Parts: sequence; C-alpha cells; structure tokens
Amino acid sequence: MKKAILYLNQFFGQVGGEEVADHAPEIREGLVGPAMALDKALGNDVQVTHTIICGDNFMGSRQEEAVDTILGFLNGLEFDIFFAGPAFRAGRYGAACGHICKAVKEKFGVPVVTSMNDENPGVQMFRSEMYIFEGGKSAAAMRKDVGKMAKFGVKLLFGEELLSASEEGYYGRGIRHQKWLNPEVPAVDRVIDMLLKKVRGEEFISELPMPELDLVPIAPAIKDLSKAKIAIATTGGIVPLDNPDRIQSASATRWGKYEVSKLDSLSGGVYKTIHAGFDPAAADANPNVIVPLDALRAYEKEGRIGSIHDYFYTTVGTGTTQAEAARMGIEMVEDMKAAGVDAVILTST
Amino acid sequence: MKLEIGNFHVKDIVFGEKTIYENGILTINKEEALAVVREDEHITEADIVIAKPGDKARIVPVKEAIEPRHRIGGGPVFPGVTGDLMQSGNGKTLALKGCSVLVVGKHWGGFQDGLIDMSGEGAKYTLFSQLKNICLVADTDEEFERHEQQKKNHALRWAGMRLSEYIGSCVKDMEPEEVETYELAPITKRSQEVNDLPSVVLVLQPQSQMEEIGYNDLTYGWDCNHIVPTFMHPNEVLDGAMISGSFMPCSSKWSTYDFQNYPMIKRLYQEHGKTLNFLGVIMSNLNVALEQKERSAQFVAQIAKSLGADSAIVAEEGYGNPDADFIACIVALEDAGVKTVGLTNECTGRDGGSQPLVTLDQKANAVVSCGNVSQLIELPAMETVIGELQALARDGLSGGWADDELLGPSVREDGSIIMENNAMFCGDRVAGWSTKTMVEY
Repeated sequence: MKKAILYLNQFFGQVGGEEVADHAPEIREGLVGPAMALDKALGNDVQVTHTIICGDNFMGSRQEEAVDTILGFLNGLEFDIFFAGPAFRAGRYGAACGHICKAVKEKFGVPVVTSMNDENPGVQMFRSEMYIFEGGKSAAAMRKDVGKMAKFGVKLLFGEELLSASEEGYYGRGIRHQKWLNPEVPAVDRVIDMLLKKVRGEEFISELPMPELDLVPIAPAIKDLSKAKIAIATTGGIVPLDNPDRIQSASATRWGKYEVSKLDSLSGGVYKTIHAGFDPAAADANPNVIVPLDALRAYEKEGRIGSIHDYFYTTVGTGTTQAEAARMGIEMVEDMKAAGVDAVILTST
Repeated sequence: MKLEIGNFHVKDIVFGEKTIYENGILTINKEEALAVVREDEHITEADIVIAKPGDKARIVPVKEAIEPRHRIGGGPVFPGVTGDLMQSGNGKTLALKGCSVLVVGKHWGGFQDGLIDMSGEGAKYTLFSQLKNICLVADTDEEFERHEQQKKNHALRWAGMRLSEYIGSCVKDMEPEEVETYELAPITKRSQEVNDLPSVVLVLQPQSQMEEIGYNDLTYGWDCNHIVPTFMHPNEVLDGAMISGSFMPCSSKWSTYDFQNYPMIKRLYQEHGKTLNFLGVIMSNLNVALEQKERSAQFVAQIAKSLGADSAIVAEEGYGNPDADFIACIVALEDAGVKTVGLTNECTGRDGGSQPLVTLDQKANAVVSCGNVSQLIELPAMETVIGELQALARDGLSGGWADDELLGPSVREDGSIIMENNAMFCGDRVAGWSTKTMVEY
C-alpha cells in the first residue's frame, strides 16, 4: 500500500472562509474535504493518510514559518507522494500549493502533484518545478481535477510510462526529450505537412514552440553622466558576511540592499558572494570584481559621474526563475526610483 | 536537367574471387578492393569487414558512409573530388542500394566520429543499422592528427570514396533493376499548371564552420566555408556534387550517403507538380563569425525572393553555434515574405531543461525537430566490435568520455557503453529520415 498526503487551504479544509485565512498550519489524520475524493480516485493501492490545512494568508505572509511547520509535521511520517489543491483560479491558494509542493519535493524527494487553472498565477511561478495539472475555474471541476491528479499520481507511484505534458494534461515544465513517433512518420512527411498548411494559411503545430520572449527595449542614453546618480545592482550574490537577509544561494526569491555611502570599496572578509553557480574565490577575495564600487568611486572623484546611490542591490541569478527575477527587478526599481536614481549598472558573475 | 539513377538492390554481400554483382548478391574480391584502398600510400593498415542488419556488431569510430555508385559514360562519382570536375545531376548513374561503404578507424577516432550498433536497442538510432555495410577498417600515417580531437580523416575518407567507386563499377555494364528519374524543367519554362502551385526552395546549410581547409563539407570539391549561398539543381546534390566533411558532432552529421539519397529532396520531387512547384536548392553554409552568418542569410533570402519562392525549407547540419545561422536564415526568409519551415535537431541537455536552440525567434514558428543530441544512451556489450571500442571513451568523440564522476567511463570493462546521442552515427537523421521528434514533459 502506497501512502499519500494532501495539502488544502482553510476553505477546502473546511475551517472557514476569508475570515480565517490566517489559520495556522495543522495536520489531521485521515480525510478532510477533497481528500475523500482523492483517496477514492487513487484506488485500492494508494491511501491518503493525512490532510494538511493552512490558511492562504498565513502561507502568503508567513511563508517560511508555514513551510517549516508543515515540513515538521511531515518529518517522520511515511508517504510516497504529496498532493496539493486543486487550487482552480484562487491565486493565493495556487501560490501556496506551489510553495509547499516545492519544499516537500526538495526535502523528502517524493513526487508532488497539484492542479490549477491556466489563469492562476501559481502556474507561471511553479510550472517548471512540478507537475501542475490543468484545472477548472472553480470547485465545480473538483471531481474532474482530483481525478486527473490521482490518475497521474498512480502512474508515478507504480512506474508506468509517462507521456508528454500535453498528453498527460499538465503544464509543460520546459523539459524536452526526444521520442520515437508511433506510428512512424519520417521528418520529411512532417515538413511537407507543416509547409503545405503554412502556405495555405491553415493551422499548424510547430514541433519546437518558440517561447514568448519578453524583450525590454534599451533605455535612452543619459546625456550628462556628470549629474547622474548611479546605482549598482547584481545577480552575483555579493552580501555582507552574515547574509542578513538570508538570500538563497540558488533559485533566489529574496534580494537585499546594503549601504555603501561611506565606503570606497568592498572589502573581502566583510562582503562575500553566496552565489552557488561559480567559483567564489576571486569574488570573496575582492568583492569589487562583482560590485565595482571601487571603480565607480574613482569615476565619482573624477567627476565623470554625479554620485553613487547610497545602497547597492543584490540577489542570486543561478536557477532563479524568470518570474521571480522580474518581480525582484521591479521591486528594486521602485526603491531606486524613490531615491532618485538615474541609472543602474547591472552586473552578473 | 534529367538524372536517372539505376538501382541494383543488394540482398547480400560476400567475399569471393571476383568483384561481381549477380542475382542480388554482391561479391567482393577483398584483395583487389584493398589494393584500391592502398593506392594512397598514407593508408598503413586496411581490412574490409561486412556488417549486416541483425549482426551482434558494434562499429566505432565511424567516419563516413558512402553509397557505392558508378557514373555511366565516364567521369568520377564525385566530380572535383575523386576525379576531374564535371557537371553532375544530368545523365545516368548506377547505384547499389541497401548497402553502404562505412569508413571506420582501425584504432583512432575523434570528435566528429560516431558509433553504429547493427542490432539490439542501439540499432534504432541510426539508419545504417538497416543497411548492409562494407566496413573499411583502416589506419593511416597522418601522424599530425593521430592524437588530435579534431581529425580531417582525409586518407580514410578518400579511400572510402575510391572503394565505393570500385565496388560500384562492378555493375557498369548491367541493366539496372529499377530506374529513378529526377527531372525538373527550367524555372521559367514550366507549365502554367506547375507555376500555379506554391513554389518552394530547399535551403541546405552543410557544415562549414572550420576556417582551416580539410574539415568542411565540399561542393564539387570546393570548401563550403568559401562559398556564398548559391543556387543548385537538386540533382547535383543527389549525384555526387556534395561530400560530407569531418567536423560536427556525429548525430547531426549528413554523411555523403545522406547527400546521395537526400530524403528531403526526394520528398519534394514527389510533391512537385502535385502540391508544390519545387524550384531547387539554395546551397548555403554554416559560419562562425556573425557577419558571415548574416551575409549568408541575406544571400539566401535574396535568391529565394528573386526566384519568386513562396516558401522555403531550411535544414542545418549541426547545432549550437550553427543554430544562429539557422534562425537568421529563417528570419531573413520570413522577412522577405517567404513562408519557411525549419528542419533541425535540438540540444536540451541530458535533463532536457536547456534552451533547445542557441538562438530563438518568434518568426521561426514552424520547425520539425529530429532529436536531442545530449540524450544519454546506455547499451549492453556487443559480441563483435568493428574498429576499436575504446575510441569512444579515449579519443574525445563528441558523445563519449574517458571518465565521469557520476557516470564512470563511456566504455566499461564488460564492453557495455554509456554515451550521449551526440556520438550516434548520423543519429538524428536530420536529412529527413528521422522518425524521432521532441516533446515537452
């Protein structure tokens, strides 16, 4: 008998609605709400043993505490797979399912499966990291969505052949592998078929879908640098030695800003890199190779630039998703704009 | 231009006293054949071994594959390469079908060489497991490159061409069992009926990234690095104008056999006059410098537009850096109003998570994909090895390695192997044979 555990929010966990969205994480033995449908859909060889319930706001505002608490519940429990949701279109719930699935997968190495509607922002946040099944808009789709999660969960648990994302019904994780076509269709036939459709203006499906590129136009040049206030931002992970904001060494979701108004350069032993994607020796010895405060101070003294912003901004680029990177970038820019920064030098590793 | 290819369907290959083709049986006089191989004094050791589909044989390092042929009326099978320059693609050529001459290093391999399994799980990766192969297993005195990872393999590749011409000549006085005819009227002299069909050009990007002579694909013996894109008749490609080089990771390779039988050309001939008006081939290339890439793309788009092409198919022999040429060419064609389909393979990494091509563009919205060069492949030992198995691990084959902290060496003590698809000989069959595709998980 294989064992499964399900994560629900306060609403589907039958604690209550928005008024109890601060509900702290709890674990209950047995089945609550959708856990019953899941248990049934999983069949006789898989049993849902526990249901975890957490308020959406609690997970949203005290995420680390919520995740740590839940991982604590799970420690010592035997389980082979972890489910969350379905979250339908509920944005906070979708993000919560993503956060807890990611943490459980990382800590316990078990497969994690959730379900969301395509308009749920959780899809873009987490699709590359887990199986998120395409779900309905609302709880009316509960039975169907739970069924899809369960069917795939059984395949995972019993080592059955896994088909492509579109065939299975989950959002593609950006993982592409080769596959022999059955029946065999040689590439030449596929080319002719695609070409004729394209020429005739008919619908066709490329075998290599181009990802939407989010190209940002280059900003206009600053006319007079000698009056400009310049900030430095980096994805190279330079932080004060104790990493006070606990920025992650990879797949970062946090960023920090640190005051350098009284410094001419960054000293090794006071600053270091926490970036896990490159050899840190050079950057630890001389953090200015990543955050070139020393060179900018020289420019400032020469009058080539007006001034240097009092803070530098930092996070880690390795493994960080585009969505998280964009969010952190927007947050940094808001802070810089409020401080009257005219231009930013963005450095990597 | 009208090309007739007279086919002889080889059912079996044996050694005997005379090199002769009779009742589907190709008999080879080994000593006479090896004498042809040894015409080049740089060949120091040579043997011929037959490998047939189903044999429990692993062939490595494979450098080249060539279909044995004979040109009726004199002249070399590969003009400008194995003999004087002459026009190919017009006239009669005889071909021994269902077989190929494989050029195999007796000891030494290199980055560009590949592996073929004649049976078992590994056989599905390459077309050449389905052919009866005349394996020329040889070594040379080309000391300058013996321990180089990149090898020109000149003596061996040219020996393979001589051998294929020698074997092909055994049918020179015989009536072929079947004749394939390839004929296209000049572009401005086609019937209204054909002219009313959507027109298409096939753009080929053969491998030509090496600045130094000796590694690249050749067109009529001329290094493709030294061409600007040019218009060619598809028959020229089918009839020996193109020979394969010695550079690219092997699963992306177009061997000379691929050029001689180029499936995308044959498929376009099938559509010609029915659904499409096949204008011909624009022979482009693959370059390293950005300006060279842009120049070639610009030439291709101009030729296509000048010809009035409604559509184009672009195929690249390679991945990585050449993806920039591939995408640039597609974008230039689309910008010129030519509806374009790309034909390529991908490099998504062993975990499948990497960006599929080095460059991407929304305008490349129709691509047929033939595989992932970095797919890991694990295969059991084979009873027989033709060549030298250690070459896969020792000599820097693009899909092999001497050691790996997680995977161990590519070649294990028991003869089993683990490698990337990169080293599978013509494993992605990008000329158009591929029955593989890429899907998202």
